[in-house]
Parts: sequence; C-alpha cells; structure tokens
Amino acid sequence: MVEFSTILAGFGDAFSLYNLAFVLFGVVLGQFVGAVPGIGPIMAMAIAIPFTFGLDPLPAIAFLVGVNKGGLVGGAVPAVLMNTPGTPDAAATALDGYPLAKQGKPLKATKMALFSSITGDTFSDIVLITVSAPLAVLALKMGPIEVVALMIFAFSILAGLIGNSLTKGIIAAAFGLLAASVGQDPENFTPRLIFGYWDLFDGLALPSVAIGMLAISEILHRLSEAHGNMRPTIIAKDTGNPDDRRVTWAEYWSCRFTMLRGATIGTILGALPGIGSTAAAFMSYAMTKASSKDPGSFGKGNIQGIAASESANSAVVGANLIPLLTLGIPGSVGAALIISAFMIHGMQPGPLLFENQGRLVYGLFGAMIMANFVNLWVGQLGLRLWVKVVSAPESIIFSSALLLCFVGVSMATSGLFGVAIMLIFAVIGYLMASFGYSLVIFIIAFFLGPRFEKSIAQSLALTNGDLTQVLKSPVALALLILSVVSVVWFLRKNVQGEDE
Amino acid sequence: MKLTTKLMALATSAVMALAAPAFAEDWAPDGPLTIQIGFGAGGSTDTMGRVLAEVMKKNTGWNIVVENKPGGGGVAMFTGLSQRPVDNKTIGMGVSIPVLVQLVQRGDQLPFDTDSFDYLGTVAKAELALVASKDAPFDDLEGMIAYAKEQGSLPVATMAPPQVLMMNQTKSTTGADFNLVTADGGAEVMKLILGGQVMAGFGSGEHYPYLDSGDMKVIAGANQSRLSYAPDVKTFIESGVNAYVDPIFFLAMRAGTDPAAITAISAAIDEATKAPEFAKIVQNAVKGDPINMGTDGTKKMMVDGLANAKILFAK
Repeated sequence: MVEFSTILAGFGDAFSLYNLAFVLFGVVLGQFVGAVPGIGPIMAMAIAIPFTFGLDPLPAIAFLVGVNKGGLVGGAVPAVLMNTPGTPDAAATALDGYPLAKQGKPLKATKMALFSSITGDTFSDIVLITVSAPLAVLALKMGPIEVVALMIFAFSILAGLIGNSLTKGIIAAAFGLLAASVGQDPENFTPRLIFGYWDLFDGLALPSVAIGMLAISEILHRLSEAHGNMRPTIIAKDTGNPDDRRVTWAEYWSCRFTMLRGATIGTILGALPGIGSTAAAFMSYAMTKASSKDPGSFGKGNIQGIAASESANSAVVGANLIPLLTLGIPGSVGAALIISAFMIHGMQPGPLLFENQGRLVYGLFGAMIMANFVNLWVGQLGLRLWVKVVSAPESIIFSSALLLCFVGVSMATSGLFGVAIMLIFAVIGYLMASFGYSLVIFIIAFFLGPRFEKSIAQSLALTNGDLTQVLKSPVALALLILSVVSVVWFLRKNVQGEDE
Repeated sequence: MKLTTKLMALATSAVMALAAPAFAEDWAPDGPLTIQIGFGAGGSTDTMGRVLAEVMKKNTGWNIVVENKPGGGGVAMFTGLSQRPVDNKTIGMGVSIPVLVQLVQRGDQLPFDTDSFDYLGTVAKAELALVASKDAPFDDLEGMIAYAKEQGSLPVATMAPPQVLMMNQTKSTTGADFNLVTADGGAEVMKLILGGQVMAGFGSGEHYPYLDSGDMKVIAGANQSRLSYAPDVKTFIESGVNAYVDPIFFLAMRAGTDPAAITAISAAIDEATKAPEFAKIVQNAVKGDPINMGTDGTKKMMVDGLANAKILFAK
C-alpha cells in the first residue's frame, strides 16, 4: 500500500504551472489531430515521444496523456460535423451526432459529445485511481475462454444495431471477419490471403480500412450528391433559440444513466486488454438504444446516442491504464506508447511500479485529472472554431479532408500501400452503404476479428478442443447464456419494429 | 556596400575553411536518413531504435526519421527494404531469429536472403527465458518435463514461431506433452501466467518486474549461454533439449549501398551504442549491455545463424 504522504507528494508534483503547460499543450495538440480526419492521437503520440526525451518523466507522460485524452474529444468533431469519423471509436458518435448537426444544431451535438466524453473519462480515472489493483486481479482471471465468451456477448449486443435486414447484417459481419483474417494466422503463423503482398503479413492496416470505410466513403457519397452546387458543409441555423447552441443542464442530467452505463462498459472493456474503445462505444450505443422507450428516435439526432458512445469510448482510455500500471500489460496501442515512454524514462510498469515510483504514478493521476479539466475548457473554445471551419463550402472542406486522409494514412502505415488499401475500402464502403449494408457492423467485426480468432485458438489449445471445459468457467457460461438471451431479445425487438 | 561584400566574402571563406575538413572526410546523407523498425510502436525494438536514432542525430547532426514497418517479425520490413532501389539512406532495424526462421521455413517464397543486405551492426542481444509463477510445482526444465508427464500435459504460452519450435523439440526429445498457447506478445504471456491459465511461458524482458517482485521464477534459459541475470538457471541445452535461440537486434541496408555510406553510418551507429543514454535504454529493454558486432561480425552472425537455424528449425 502506498503511503498517504507519497500520494500527496505525487499530486503536489503534478499541480504545477509547468506541468499544466505541458498538459495544455498536449490537449490542444490532441484535440487538433483528433479533429483532423486521417491523423489520430496515436500517431501524434508516436511522433511526440522522441521530443519528450529531454523532459523530466512527469511532464513527458503528462503531455502524452494530454494528447491521448485530447484526441478522444477531437475525434468526435469530424464524426458529428461531417459524418466522417477520424477514428473508428467515434463512428458510433456519428450515428446521432451527424443528424443533430444537420438539423442546424452542430454546437449542441459537439458539446454533448464533449461533456459526455469528459464524464466518461473522469469516471474511469476515478476507478483507476481508487480501485485499480483489485480490478486488475479480476481482469487476470479473464482467461482466453472467458474472453471468447465476452466477445460472443459483444457480438450479440451488436445484433441490436443490425437494423432492418438480418441477412444484410450477417453478410456485413461475415465480410468484416473475412477481412480480419487477412495476414498471418495466429496459430501456425502461415500467411493467409496475402496474395504475395508481404505488406499484408500483419493483416490489413486498421487506419487504412477504418478511414477508407468510414471517412472516404462518406466523402465519395457527398461528392456524388454535389451536382456542382456550392454549399456550406454544415448549416448552423440561428433559430433564435439559444438552447439549440448549447446543452442545458436538464439535457445533460437526462443522460446521466446513459453516461453511467457507457462509462461502466468502457471501464470494464478498457481493463481487459485488446478489446478496445470502438467495441465499447457500439456496445454502449446498442444497449442505450435497446433500453430506450423511444428506440425509433436513435439515428435521427438523439443526444442519448451521443452520450452513450462518447462516455464509453472515453472511459476506455483511463481504464486502459489499469492493466498497464498494475501489470505492465498495455490494453491498446495508445497504452503501449505510454509504456514505451515509461521505459525511455527508465521505469518499468508492473507490480512494483506503485511501490518504487508511487510518487510518479500519483503525479500521473494528478496530471490526468488536470487534463480532464483542460480538455473541457479547450474543448469549449475549440468546438466553436471547428463549427466555423466546417461552415466553409463543401468543395473546400471535403477536398482538404481527402488530402488529410491520404497524408494521415500514408503516415500511419508508412507508405502508399496503406493508401491503396484505403482507396479499395473506400469504394467497397461506398458500395456497401449504397446497397444498405451496415458499415458499422463490418468495422466492428473487422476490429474484433483478430482478437476473437486468437482467443478461440488459445481456448482450443488450452482445452485440447474439449468444449465441455466451458462448463467449468461460470463467467464464460453466464456470458454465453446472456448472449443467447440478448440475440433473441434484439431480434424479437427488430421484428416488432418492422410490424409497427 | 563594398565593405559589406568583402566582409561577407571573408566570413564565408572562414566558415568554409572551418567546415571543409569535416566534409572532406565524412560522408553525409543527401536528405534525411530513415530507420525502418520491423516491429510496431512501443516494443523493445522500437524503443531502442528511436533512442538510437536520437543519439545518432545528436552526434552527427543528420536528420533521421524513424518509421514503424511491422509485419511477420520484421519480414515485411526486410522484404520492402530488399525491393527498393539503393538510395544510401534507408536503414532497416530488426531481430535476427524471426527473419532466419522465416528464411528456413519459407525461404522460397521470400524475395530476399542474407546476401540481400549490407549489414551495419548490432545493438543488443535479447535474452529469452522460460518463466513460471512462483507457485508452480517445479523449479527447472527437467522438473517441468517430469510434471508434464505426470499430469498428461502442461499448458505453456509462447509468442513467436521459434519458441513453438523449441517446445516441439522438447516434446519430441522427452516425450512430455504441452498445450502450446500462442499469445500476442510477451505482455500477454505474463497475463496468462499470472491469471493461472498457463503454467509457464516465454518472456524476453516483460517478466523482469515479476522476478523483482517475487511473483515469478525462471525455469530455463532459451539462449545458447546462460541468462546474465540468472546464472544459476540451466539452459534448454543443459537440460537435454538441443535447441536455443539468440535473437540479436541488428541494422542493415540494401545490398549495393555506397561503401562510404556504410562506413559512415556504421561508425555513427557504433558511436551511438557507446553512449550512456543508449546503454540505459538497452539495460531497461533487455537487461544487458549494448553489443555491436560491427559490419563483418553482423554478416557472419546472420550467415552462421541461418546455417544453425536450418538444423534447429528444419521442417
């Protein structure tokens, strides 16, 4: 147990003007790169790490945390304003954010995203600071069998997003899993479906597929509708009602359960390495929609949808640090970069980190709390600016967005091969969307696919292929039963929805 | 006006006179050097590569860009490197064993071999250990094998093909059975051991904090010689299983690179590996000191390593 004086000293270290400056710089940078389509906070962190060599450990890590947190807030901006999520975890935010923006309430939509993002983030930070050690022990008990069951449960909840056609939903999911199986297989390391391209050895690059499918295909769609008219990308109507430009307390408060649920889902999935914020956002969205009295209003600009998605994806970031700090296991690429920053500064995350570097860890917690406040403040200012920027004519906004996507993907994948893949998936995405196949289902299946396959392979290796072993794991059994229940429930609900 | 011109000329010639000797001897890249890391961001290769680049940049003043080109344990990056035109400024950094194993197992499908590169040097050797939870009912490899026979089989976590091959070698030599669970990197191996899902697993550095905290113990060394930090623990070879891996972090350029560039860059790498800040990173990443075998030594390491891998890992 860390002594109280160490905790105080750590927080004392964090709350200095010097560290605040680095957090502020990190948040501004993170929000900017998050909001610009194509360049994400992960890339910004990877580029920024060498620049932190000269800094003391605390400001260096505070800066990186700032970038990471700022990026989550920023990521919602293009999703809401242009329906082109820069990062896949914001894709669920676009489902309701963009319709709301189209109704002339872009500020309301982005502010709701900001507030729920910070609420979710703060929730998971509090969990991290207070109960990370016991949570990490629980997460350890989730072996491969339990993870497979959890992922089946996640897929079953996503059934709630399938929409009208079950067949099309299943096709989109199967196609996502097929795309996920490109690259070396996790058991025997033989290359699959790479057609002689060794660049595909580690699979289709996530940024290429996600940006191609989500951002470029939407830009193609908008281009196809343009007919040579000059029109602003988004119209911020001045309705005379100031409530259309802000989120009222009553609206925020009405989302409290949604945000709490989102933050809880995000924290749980974040504490388990490798599942990620995209799945958390969509699970939270699907559950919110399913439990709503008015599910029909989702996808048409319901602020509950924004709150569900943003609170969940932001909660993952804080929770990702739970396995990282306590066990030295990174839960995501962003967390892996923070580990690398720790190592560069001579610290090894793991069981002794709190004991040996307690003061620094609590300094980091202090910096995270600061980052949340700074994020809120910078976000309030930044959103107005983004709404102004996006009011420019479509021809300018979309051509710049296209260029940024090219640059971003070529940087993220280190070359033009990734850009080619992005363009292929942009066309596939455009066609899929035109024929009514859900891109969202595809992306989730694609994201969860590799982890799902690996966990199945691990489970089979552990049990020698004996499926009855599942019965020995009460957690896995419970999750599998819940999955069956949720699939049946969602499908019945879908059928009812069609009857109405 | 005239005075200014004269002064300028004087100043310019003075600068040139000072700078000339340095430029006359040294080769310098015509543009930024690129170091392509064959692994993703955040791993030990990435961390060491980025610090190496930073130190080289400081020492030489060259502009150096670091890129991650993950895929197949560095095979994707080396494939790309072997296929690009000679530009005297693109460097690949990877680990020997994964490349050698791929060359042995599917060399006919790969567009490169050990002759496709000019080698610049090495930076470190990874020490690979088989570790288990402190509560495991065995303390060495022989004990583990006996326990596996007693239990019927024993779950072991691996993270890369060479380790799978080593365990298969152990199976065929001793007749013990293991359930080999493939994990996504050393961190996941640790998670599986701590969570009790496997009894033992391989670690290339991720296990150090758990050795310090007493949560884990080293069962066997997987290198040719014993582990520097656990000299009392026997290796696989000493325990009767004829298999080992010596993964070495090395740098190379496309074959046919200007010899002057090779000389200058390898000298810069050598200088950087001697810097204390680099030694610190290597210590953190692999618990050892930087090792630079030089250009010829690196080539020999790869050629001999391939011959050795053919014996160990032949299908």
